[in-house]
Amino acid sequence: MRLNKYDRAAAGAVALMLLALAAIFFYAPTDWLQGPVQRIFYLHVSSAIAAYGAFTVVLLGGVVFLRNESYAADRWARAGAMVGVIFTTVTLVMGSLWAKQVWGQFWVWDARLTSTLVLWIIYAGYMLVRRFAEPGRQAARIGALVGIFGFVDVPVVHFSVTWWVTQHPGTIVENDALPPEMLATFLFTMLCTIVFAAVLVVIRYQIETLRDAKQVLVQPAKVVPAHQPEPVR
Amino acid sequence: MTYLVIAYAFALVLLGGFLIWSLRTLRGLDRR
Repeated sequence: MRLNKYDRAAAGAVALMLLALAAIFFYAPTDWLQGPVQRIFYLHVSSAIAAYGAFTVVLLGGVVFLRNESYAADRWARAGAMVGVIFTTVTLVMGSLWAKQVWGQFWVWDARLTSTLVLWIIYAGYMLVRRFAEPGRQAARIGALVGIFGFVDVPVVHFSVTWWVTQHPGTIVENDALPPEMLATFLFTMLCTIVFAAVLVVIRYQIETLRDAKQVLVQPAKVVPAHQPEPVR
Repeated sequence: MTYLVIAYAFALVLLGGFLIWSLRTLRGLDRR
């Protein structure tokens, strides 16, 4: 089987993630208070940051689409939404498992957990809209608006631990609360996760591009922007 | 320890599965 550039990029991203896993399990020290379960922290937080990045792509794609009616920007937005939802799922599930060990329950309705669940619902809704709406200008405009207004929840998630009293811990990385080995492992895992997410967004963008091209071939009238003038004959 | 193993197993399956599914979808679309 011949590997294309996407296969090679994916292989590189997987290799980085394996290195990150090695650092998490063999380099980072065991937390004296929580024990081994604290190692969930590294991918849990990195996934949340990767999701923020993916949702930023949705925001930028939506803004550029509304300004320029660029269908490439709309495709980046669709790609970012799907990758963002996947990483938010990882964040939520890993966090719940960690919570069960240290809090004794999978879920509490505090501001951080609730706003993250709302974030997941917003972008899952975005994907549903894009999946079932008739492809074209109207769906892209609605998607752009959902993507832009939905992004308001990203700073709410991030700052929820400082704006409200939460059971979820605060910003331990920004407060220098991590020993150097843990901090190095976290930063490396975050870098690898961001690269992995970026590769996924690029692959999903290419998928959306090919799907749009196929749509044009099958149903040319349905994807032509409404404002496009008739060709001069 | 059990929750740690389940958490990373879930993340590996979801992220790895999503990557493989995306690459397969891309190959399928590329062929057509």
